[in-house]
Amino acid sequence: MSAPFYKFGLFGDEASFIIAFVIGIGFGFFLERAGFGSGRKLAAQFYFRDLSVLKVMFTAIITAMTGVYLLSRLGMMDLSLVYLVPTFLVPQIVGGLLLGVGFVIGGYCPGTSCVSAVTGRIDGMVYLVGMIAGLLGFAEVYPYVQNYAHMTPMGQITLAKLFNLPYGLLVFAVVLMALGAFMAAEWAEKKVGGKEPDPKGSFIARPWRLTPVRILAMGLAAAGFVALVAGDPYRGSHATIDTKDLAIRAGSGADSIQVGQLADWIIQGRNDFKLVDLRSGTDFAAYHIPTAENVPLASLTPDFAAHNEKIILCSEDGTQAAKAWFLLEAQGFKSVYLLDGGLRSWQDMILFPKKSDKTDEAVFDRQMQVAKFFGGTPQAEGTSAPASVAVALPQVAPPAQPAVSEPAAAKVQPKKKKEGC
Amino acid sequence: MNSVEHSAKPYWNPYLSGFGLGLVLLASFVIMGRGLGASGAFTTAVATAVHQVAPTHAENNAFYAEYLGDGSRSPLKDWLVFEVLGVFVGGFLSGVLANRLKLTVEKGPRIGKPWRLIFAFIGGALMGIGAKIALGCTSGQALTGGSLLNVGSWAFMMCVFGGAYAVAYFFRKQWI
Repeated sequence: MSAPFYKFGLFGDEASFIIAFVIGIGFGFFLERAGFGSGRKLAAQFYFRDLSVLKVMFTAIITAMTGVYLLSRLGMMDLSLVYLVPTFLVPQIVGGLLLGVGFVIGGYCPGTSCVSAVTGRIDGMVYLVGMIAGLLGFAEVYPYVQNYAHMTPMGQITLAKLFNLPYGLLVFAVVLMALGAFMAAEWAEKKVGGKEPDPKGSFIARPWRLTPVRILAMGLAAAGFVALVAGDPYRGSHATIDTKDLAIRAGSGADSIQVGQLADWIIQGRNDFKLVDLRSGTDFAAYHIPTAENVPLASLTPDFAAHNEKIILCSEDGTQAAKAWFLLEAQGFKSVYLLDGGLRSWQDMILFPKKSDKTDEAVFDRQMQVAKFFGGTPQAEGTSAPASVAVALPQVAPPAQPAVSEPAAAKVQPKKKKEGC
Repeated sequence: MNSVEHSAKPYWNPYLSGFGLGLVLLASFVIMGRGLGASGAFTTAVATAVHQVAPTHAENNAFYAEYLGDGSRSPLKDWLVFEVLGVFVGGFLSGVLANRLKLTVEKGPRIGKPWRLIFAFIGGALMGIGAKIALGCTSGQALTGGSLLNVGSWAFMMCVFGGAYAVAYFFRKQWI
């Protein structure tokens, strides 16, 4: 099993929307089951009358946390592929405080207000209207506060990295903390709210019988304990390299892409790969293959792209690309390819193909079209390719040339929409 | 039908509901490699609506632009939008099954309906603003980031509880 499935390309965007809908149904269902369609029940959290918000939230958090930990540790999931919202400390503190105040005043948070509105709560519906107004207002003033929006950036960072503690230790600590908080919550509900805990759904209420709730707590505590001793769930930069496997693949040439293949992909407008040009900025500016991105070797860190993204490396003659290939493979990238022969091959075979007596007419015709598409010129036999590359190489943007196919090749990589909430 | 059938069923135990919610979140991590969200879908909807009314205005605003994508398809074709549609459906299903569908206003006994609705509007607006400053709401930050031990999410979560408890006293008449 290799999770996350979507990031390993097991299904596409369209299917992901159906999954989104189904996951949403589960989300909404359990929120409503817990009573979170009621603003009064939610707000009771802040008067110590009913601490369901804390109980539901932290049970969900420790369930998902230990689940993700165990799956990653068992090698079924690559945690480094799960999206982590980058931390911007000051904005998140300010936003958090504002949300807290809004919670007490409005009675809901965005997710619960959907459930509230759809089960007939008029205040939930009004809350949604208010939220839309707030979003609109924020968007309109955003250009003026833009500079503060990304203050104190800390990158994608976990508590384990921040405190330099083992991830598993923190998982265990959070589980213990949550279970402790649940007992304190039940105690507070009794003392402040005068609510007698229901023995069936409580940790502390007598009699001391084994109830589903207590079994759940023991299960979570056990999972937390496993985390304490089982080590780090992240792979990626810590991945162990199978040098033999690496050597075999490097020797077989299975990880290289021919220039003709790449040209076809660009003409077809395919954008399921990332073309990385490793040359210097000056060389890149002088000429590069359409859709290429200029990334210096030193910037090939484990997070420069998703680990499952198809990456094609190119450099002048292929040596830089070969170094980068090893680097990325060692960092756990799954599909890294070399452009066979590098830019030099691209120039000789795509931009300025030569016609010899042996070349088939139809083949050369096709080569000519491809060369034209990329702004090059085919060469008759005997004439050598232009000596000075800088003068002869075509402009970066290919001219509008419908000769081969739709001009989709000139299309830039689509801008990815943000993944967070 | 007798009166028992008409009355709303009791809520589920919070730990068991939380466990269910946690499994949904885990499924999202395993299948999609991302967590849950809510406010993002509304932001996409707002950005799309503004783009319909005033295209250049929306495109020139960095905030809207981020939610509009590259224009190759409707911005509403977005994961979170479909997820939130599901939230409405799931909430409705659960409400129907438990006889909890009721047109009413949630409030304490010491406040009138108009004031409660005004507060609901103000609270919603504050949440909309806060969620965008914090790059997420209780779903996207607290639940999702919380279970991934995300630094910003934990800071955020503490501040939500802190902010709420700090002002709860002043709004007690609304709820208790």
